[in-house]
Amino acid sequence: MTTLAPVSGRRRTVDRVSRGLTLALTVVAVLPLIFIIYYLIKEGIGAWSGDFFTTDPTGRFLGDPGGIKSAIVGTILMVALASAIAIPFGIGVALYLVEYGKGGRFANLVRYFVDVMTGVPSVVFGLFVYIVLVVTKIGGTFAGWKGSVALALLMLPVVTRTSEVVLNLVPDSLREAALALGAPRWRVVFRIVLPTALPGLVTGSLLAIARAAGETAPLLFTAAFVFGTQFDLSQRMNSLPLQIFNDVSQAQDRLVQRAWGAALTLVALVLLLSLAARLVQRRSRLA
Amino acid sequence: MRCSLVRSNQWLAALSAAALALGVAACGSDDESPSGGSSGGSSSSASSKQGGTINGAGATFPAPVYTEWAARFKDSTGTTVNYQAVGSGGGIAQFTAGTVDFGATDAAMKPEEEDAAKKKGDPVHIPTVLGAVTVSYKVDGIDKGLKLDGATIADIFLGKIKKWNDPAIAKVSGNTSLPDKDITVCHRSDESGTTKNFTQFLADYSKEWESGPGVDKTVKWPTGTGAKGNDGVAGCVKQTDGAVGYVEQAYALQNDFTTAAVKNKEGQFIEPSLDATSAAGEGAEVPEDLKFSTIDAPGAKTYPISAVTFLLVWQDQCKAGIKPATAKLVKSWLDYALGDGQKLAGELQYAALPAPIQQKAQAKIDALQCNGTAIG
Amino acid sequence: MEAGTLRARGGPAIGDRSSRSRALDPLLRWVLTGLAALILLLIGFFFVRLFIEAKPAFDKFGYIGFVFDNNWDVSKEIFGAWPLVVGTLITSAIALVIGVPVAIATALYISELCPRGARQPLTILIELLAAVPSVVYGLWGIIVLAPKLHGVEQWLSDTFSFLPLVGGPVSIPNCFVAGLIMAIMILPIVSAISREVMATVPAQDKEAALALGATRWEMIRIAVLPYSRSGISGAAMLGLGRAIGETIAVTIVIGNAPNVPDSIFSQGYTLAAVIANEFNEAASDPTHRAALIAAGLVLFVLTLIINAIARYYVNRASRGNKRTVPTGMAG
Repeated sequence: MTTLAPVSGRRRTVDRVSRGLTLALTVVAVLPLIFIIYYLIKEGIGAWSGDFFTTDPTGRFLGDPGGIKSAIVGTILMVALASAIAIPFGIGVALYLVEYGKGGRFANLVRYFVDVMTGVPSVVFGLFVYIVLVVTKIGGTFAGWKGSVALALLMLPVVTRTSEVVLNLVPDSLREAALALGAPRWRVVFRIVLPTALPGLVTGSLLAIARAAGETAPLLFTAAFVFGTQFDLSQRMNSLPLQIFNDVSQAQDRLVQRAWGAALTLVALVLLLSLAARLVQRRSRLA
Repeated sequence: MRCSLVRSNQWLAALSAAALALGVAACGSDDESPSGGSSGGSSSSASSKQGGTINGAGATFPAPVYTEWAARFKDSTGTTVNYQAVGSGGGIAQFTAGTVDFGATDAAMKPEEEDAAKKKGDPVHIPTVLGAVTVSYKVDGIDKGLKLDGATIADIFLGKIKKWNDPAIAKVSGNTSLPDKDITVCHRSDESGTTKNFTQFLADYSKEWESGPGVDKTVKWPTGTGAKGNDGVAGCVKQTDGAVGYVEQAYALQNDFTTAAVKNKEGQFIEPSLDATSAAGEGAEVPEDLKFSTIDAPGAKTYPISAVTFLLVWQDQCKAGIKPATAKLVKSWLDYALGDGQKLAGELQYAALPAPIQQKAQAKIDALQCNGTAIG
Repeated sequence: MEAGTLRARGGPAIGDRSSRSRALDPLLRWVLTGLAALILLLIGFFFVRLFIEAKPAFDKFGYIGFVFDNNWDVSKEIFGAWPLVVGTLITSAIALVIGVPVAIATALYISELCPRGARQPLTILIELLAAVPSVVYGLWGIIVLAPKLHGVEQWLSDTFSFLPLVGGPVSIPNCFVAGLIMAIMILPIVSAISREVMATVPAQDKEAALALGATRWEMIRIAVLPYSRSGISGAAMLGLGRAIGETIAVTIVIGNAPNVPDSIFSQGYTLAAVIANEFNEAASDPTHRAALIAAGLVLFVLTLIINAIARYYVNRASRGNKRTVPTGMAG
């Protein structure tokens, strides 16, 4: 076999430099994450203490600024309600698109609009819920459940999209086999399709939950901001992102440190959810 | 086909059910009922606490003293006062929209704002305390008490004076060793009574300011960084070497800001202090609706940028949509503010109202009604 | 055709076709169709409602006037959103200029150049960037990044002051920092999509280039990049769409000045940030509220257009790939 012409020095240099540059830029891309995690831990750990998690922010000017208990409670409650709304809704729509809507015009329209929804900025969702629910004073003014509605709007397209992808991956052969054995459609869905796709559905849902937990803008207009712990979703509720947003611009150092502590808590929560999503995904037997 | 995943299905269902249960059940805080002390008053007083919750929103200017009042008020009465410091504009807006039980503003409502509110009822302005709007700066090389006058401050905020060693500043302050540093202006990004009072002062001394950005809760700032709330401006000042901003005195003190000595009407350069703020209130002329201003007040010891702050309530609370039980709580909060609260104000360097004004304000509170009858 | 003997754990035989179970079939279909229709209704309602609420502002200032008038003056009730639009464009442009090349480089490195073992961890690291909430980016940005960059920005501003939009005083919160943070935030999505697109490059194209003696980089230049160009453009546009809508991180670091910025190192304002900052006081002022909702609508329409363009490019890329003769290697 004839030997190929050796690579010239210049080409080799270009190759090395370009590859080096690509590597360098990749490192640059990862740096911010490292910095953020470093600062989160460095500044945030100092704020963590027993009191931090068990006392409410006092809002007082002098004296003890308090912890972030109400923020944690509020985030958990509001995100839980939002998930309870968005996840069934989203999976339902995805089921429709996969089981009944392949290629139909209606289904394509729905798919297109769900895609549109993914691109809507979260602040616009908050504004929408503000106009429709808060200003009209339906069920009181600011309320935790309205914040949940705004978050649910945010989660819906994400859950629908990821669920559609996962449901599509369930092999048709499984469905056909069940149908051939005489099973009605609904049983095929609930006994075959959903269980098979479950890990993927859970993954998608967990990622959507993680995203919702970190959102600030939709809550600004809907759940508003209070200091005290509130279990009643029909009242104003605090939340981790709002608490951080409130503390971030303060001049008092200990309030800023509280913001770091709350940020560390929030990121830990989001990372836990993302990690759980990944672990579940590993267990999936689909592609 | 293995159905081991069915178990995970049930697990998932249980999880979501639990989440739902958390959210829906156990409506612990009984918010609107006034009896039963549900918000956990901690003092050992034997008398039954009134409990309950009232919501208010408004100025960040008095937020330090209001939140302190709220904490002590809760200790003694068990009533939770949720005060959202969103700025005077937000306070007026939320008050008018009925999303809060009382509003708070350093800028009295404008005619248009009152008209909008009239649809619900008559808004009543209750003055509570006076505070000082300091001109705070953070410049390495300038000590506290830099002497400035209204015209110079206006020029700084107009962006005409860009450096600290500008001859104009040297001239009015008498300081010839000013550092060569860029001035970074910090102002409000939200609608603020503090802004209105500050710009009122600037307009009094600068025609260019008056015809330019003008006087209002928010203006078109020619230069500088916008921050939310007095606390945000304080944060902005703290962050930049060479920054100047206008913040209420409590914020300046808390952050150890250096503040300017501002020239008052009598030509004296006065630093902000409790006494200088009180002096502004002395002898103030107060109209029937209690909407008065102490900006550029006369007096040799007066701090010229002293401002009054108001609580906004409806003349007839219940007609405006507030529940009778809540109306009682609001009145008791107002009584506290004009009573024990006045003694507390000095601790945070806010000046209590002069006695005659206090009496007039108390009279207004006593005249508040619920559906035509006085509130018990 | 008897009832099937296949039994799921518990429950009736899977092939049971009693009339009751048959009745549930159309029920399921109706419920699911209803949900899908509900989404359409929701989005339709969403758009219509926003438009109705925004209309007073458009009536007062005109559609062109609202977007292009350079005067956002709340106290005088004049709402010309041009300073906001410019701020949005400048910060997004900075985000793209910085973020897209880095994202492409990352995608290239992960898919073509890095050792097998590092692929998964690197992918996870980049994706983790997406997990950090916007408000935390804002916190880190204003406390850590902006002050640290101040010196560098001052030097850049002085050195390159001949360029338009550079030069003059440098403030700590400014458009550049906002753009930089946005760049970090769009990195994961642009990188992920670019990676997906690059993964569909047919192996035979790459192998052919290598067989002809191309260096690794040349192979990328010849086979991977041209192929992925469409998809990468789509990815960039999706990143842009995301950047434009970013609210909280931006409002914390941008300085909130409703003027057209003199330089990228001075304060600015964006459509999203103004909504977050001003909605509170607009509650009872109809004109102001309409103006803010109109700003939200403009934002919405912008993201719609950008995402539509992005989708077009990404679809074109994947369609193009499907046309290639399959080589037996999964595409």
